[in-house]
Amino acid sequence: MQFEGTERYYLNPELREIVNIAIAMGKPLLLTGEAGTGKTQLAFEISRSLELTMEEARCKSTFKGEELCYVYDTVLRLNDSRFGSGETGRNVNDIWDYLRFGPIGRAFLAGDRRVLLLDEIDKTDSDAQDNLLDVLEEGSFIIREINHKVSARQTPIIIITSNAKRELSDPFLRRCFCHYIPFPPPDEMQIIVRLHFPDIAEPLLDACLTTFYRLREQGFEKPPATAELLDWIGALKSSGARAPGAGKEVNHIGTLLKRTEDLLKFRGVRRTSRF
Amino acid sequence: MIGFVYHLQDAGIPVSVQYVLEFYRALQRGLARNLDQLFVLARLVFVKRVEYYDVFEQAFASFFLGAEGTAPAVNWEELIAGKPFQEWLRDQLEQGLLTPEELREFDTEELLARFWETVLKQEGRHQGGNQWVGTRGRSPYGHSGHHAGGMRVYGQSLYGSAQKVIDDRRYINYSDQSSLSNENLRQVLTSMRSLRPLGPESELDIDETIAKTAKNGGEIELIFRRELRNRLKLIVMVDNGGYSMTPYIPLVKTIFTKLRDMFRDVTFYYFHNCIYGTVYRDPQRTQSVKWEKLVSENKSTRLILIGDANMAPAELMAAYGSIEMTHTIRKPGKEWLHELKTAFPVSIWLNPIRKDHWGRESTTIQQIGRIFRMEDLTLAGIKNAVSYMNIQGQTYDSQ
Repeated sequence: MQFEGTERYYLNPELREIVNIAIAMGKPLLLTGEAGTGKTQLAFEISRSLELTMEEARCKSTFKGEELCYVYDTVLRLNDSRFGSGETGRNVNDIWDYLRFGPIGRAFLAGDRRVLLLDEIDKTDSDAQDNLLDVLEEGSFIIREINHKVSARQTPIIIITSNAKRELSDPFLRRCFCHYIPFPPPDEMQIIVRLHFPDIAEPLLDACLTTFYRLREQGFEKPPATAELLDWIGALKSSGARAPGAGKEVNHIGTLLKRTEDLLKFRGVRRTSRF
Repeated sequence: MIGFVYHLQDAGIPVSVQYVLEFYRALQRGLARNLDQLFVLARLVFVKRVEYYDVFEQAFASFFLGAEGTAPAVNWEELIAGKPFQEWLRDQLEQGLLTPEELREFDTEELLARFWETVLKQEGRHQGGNQWVGTRGRSPYGHSGHHAGGMRVYGQSLYGSAQKVIDDRRYINYSDQSSLSNENLRQVLTSMRSLRPLGPESELDIDETIAKTAKNGGEIELIFRRELRNRLKLIVMVDNGGYSMTPYIPLVKTIFTKLRDMFRDVTFYYFHNCIYGTVYRDPQRTQSVKWEKLVSENKSTRLILIGDANMAPAELMAAYGSIEMTHTIRKPGKEWLHELKTAFPVSIWLNPIRKDHWGRESTTIQQIGRIFRMEDLTLAGIKNAVSYMNIQGQTYDSQ
């Protein structure tokens, strides 16, 4: 099973090696790096290119880990036991009718190999991460209510992303392959932009990239990333601009800089001081 | 390959046995067909944090491409044929730690695992360990205590080495009586985590619901209980004035910062010796906090005071008692402390001075101990403090 890039996604050769090694070794791949470096996108591309179904879990801070495996809907069962399940076909005496599987559960139970994405794992607290560790490592979890063990029929390809909001624990890191995606340099960025805007004129692209990388170096609170660049170029193209603008007159600057302070700093407006 | 692992360890990258085994497994599968792939593979396996990327790249370059000119020896069979491994194996057999029968049963991986365990363990304790790679001939092992100052490989109980282990007192830092230090931080954290959780009442209590429903003759009644997560506020007040506290301040901060997850909010305030109507937000004690605001916190807020409570009696009892010359507060410290206790019923005073020394220090320790429950800053003391606060907290959490 070899993963190559797709026509919509530029794949750095190093990253390709990494993904393939992780797939071959059957280890979860933890991707870290700045927002907008395509961490989440990578998982989607793997599933597209290998034609595997995708199971996606967007983590929330309230997750305990278990709901990613299964949820036991007691309230529904209680309701059915009191008022009858009617025509829904659910059998109150059968607990399986009231178990709903989360992304991990579905990936484990599926007959085909799947891509499992755990997005922004750092949002969960460390206890939830510890719970998930064992599940992912052993490829199995237990449904506590009936003490039934669910084992993975096919080990899914596990991609985990983190924005490093919180430090991940050492045991967690130990069980993953970790890769930090650096921000793409200008030449790679050119390829990326071309994938999205195949008919962009060379001078415009060059000028845009120059402005873009210059802005990134200026130490804004939220430096513009790939997504902002693509938005910006899209805005320029649709408004028919020939050039990105220069100096303080950059067109559609709002698509690049999102924070008020950054915008004020860019325009050179000083905060009025009291003294 | 051993050389490379050592090289990484010397460079400061933490290496564990699992990594090494994983690396071999990957090599066996032919995942590193060229130097580029070897680089990516080794980095994936050995480096877990971006902080080490640079160190790793340098280590890799100097080992595989550097002046030593070592060819990338990816053949792991070489390792088994190599002298260090063979010598280790012989040692194990001679000492009866591995029987020939066992040897036949173990597969190579198991053997390698044991080998690396030994090597890495010894490396951790023995500074000159990498010399071993260079000389390649001398056995590094202390043969269970024969070798003066040598380290033991598995032979823990032979030739009186047990005595040495006891003398070393390597676990002293983990004992209940020891005071706070980096070594027992984890234990302290574990006991702090048992501070009673208090979440919103959003989790369905199934047993209770079924029982209630049955009692109602089938009419459903849903019972909710508190979710198991902590949404309390914690205030930590630290005396950063005296010498006795200085060594503990960073540790105390680490502990409570790590606990931040568990609480809705953890706030630090500082004071000097005793409290006279003001505590400060910064360690330099310049930004004061309004007393009225402080004492109007929710009653369930946990308060932990950390200080030696060791001061001149006048500082506590007399009017205008503050040690700071600029303070002109009439009300004596004792009354302020009483007010604080009333505002925060769930509170504890942690003292860095050991409990058995309290009698010998200033009488103020006893006097403050009558206002706040006082424990010392040892593991046992912290455990007591946590259970005390949990019991106290039950009364106020429901409000």
